[in-house]
Amino acid sequence: MAQTEQDYLGVLRSGLDGKMPKEEIDDILSDYVEHFRIGKAEGRTEEELYHALGAPEDVTREIKATYMVSRAEQTRSCSNIWHAIMATLGLGLFNLVFVLVPFIILAVLVAVVFVVGCLFAVLGPVSFIIALLQILGIPFISFWLWPVAGVFFAIGITSLGLLLVISDMYLAHFFYHLGIRYLKWNIRVIKGTEASI
Amino acid sequence: MNIQFKKGVLEICVLSVLAQKECYGYELVGEISKRIDISEGTIYPLLRRLKDEGLVTTYLQESGGGPPRKYYRLTASGQEKERELRDEWMQFATSVNAILAEVKNGTD
Repeated sequence: MAQTEQDYLGVLRSGLDGKMPKEEIDDILSDYVEHFRIGKAEGRTEEELYHALGAPEDVTREIKATYMVSRAEQTRSCSNIWHAIMATLGLGLFNLVFVLVPFIILAVLVAVVFVVGCLFAVLGPVSFIIALLQILGIPFISFWLWPVAGVFFAIGITSLGLLLVISDMYLAHFFYHLGIRYLKWNIRVIKGTEASI
Repeated sequence: MNIQFKKGVLEICVLSVLAQKECYGYELVGEISKRIDISEGTIYPLLRRLKDEGLVTTYLQESGGGPPRKYYRLTASGQEKERELRDEWMQFATSVNAILAEVKNGTD
């Protein structure tokens, strides 16, 4: 395979195209254009320079990961953090275990707390209505031994449910913040393929 | 050297070279790759990140008649970071060396 400047730049461009704004891609490429220009002026061949730069795929992976993480930091959304995580997975198989697995565990935890919170919050009114019907003496329902306890239970369980849902939002924010910091550290430390640093 | 280990150290090296002199990218890459075997292409993403973090700034300067080159310079917080990382590294290296020396003496 030929290893010219155009090949190198081509891999970068096709790897980044559509993933980030065009001006930003041009700016990234301009560094490598300058690198080749000065290198060639010093008498090195394009192939030598290509070889010393290492695999351009590693550069695109790292740039993408950095970009996606900073986007997820600026605009919080499930989709952004997901893209950031996916881009970080590209940095090494290692990250399947050290990024994807913890992310799934935390996401499931947040989801479970949310669902339980919602269930509790809904259970309250249901229990309240049942207790009320019983107090009113509708004969075919006798769910509560002491219907008044049912009313208190209803208030309690709804409050608990709402509290869970609200806490869950704080928990999600906290995990998100923590996740971004971890991903940034991860990009700084985790290498690409074996051939590069 | 262990590849995993090098990436984290590269940041200190880049900051440290820039603390000594302002460089254009190619020059900086040369300064580092003449001592450590690296994929030179990965220096540029690192420089972008350092710039995003406000540790370095860039400016264009003509040199040798050719088109202007992009120079990198440490900011005040970059200088501070460089000193901080340098101290940490020195302490770490001293400790590791001490341990290695002890182990070596023990086995002799």
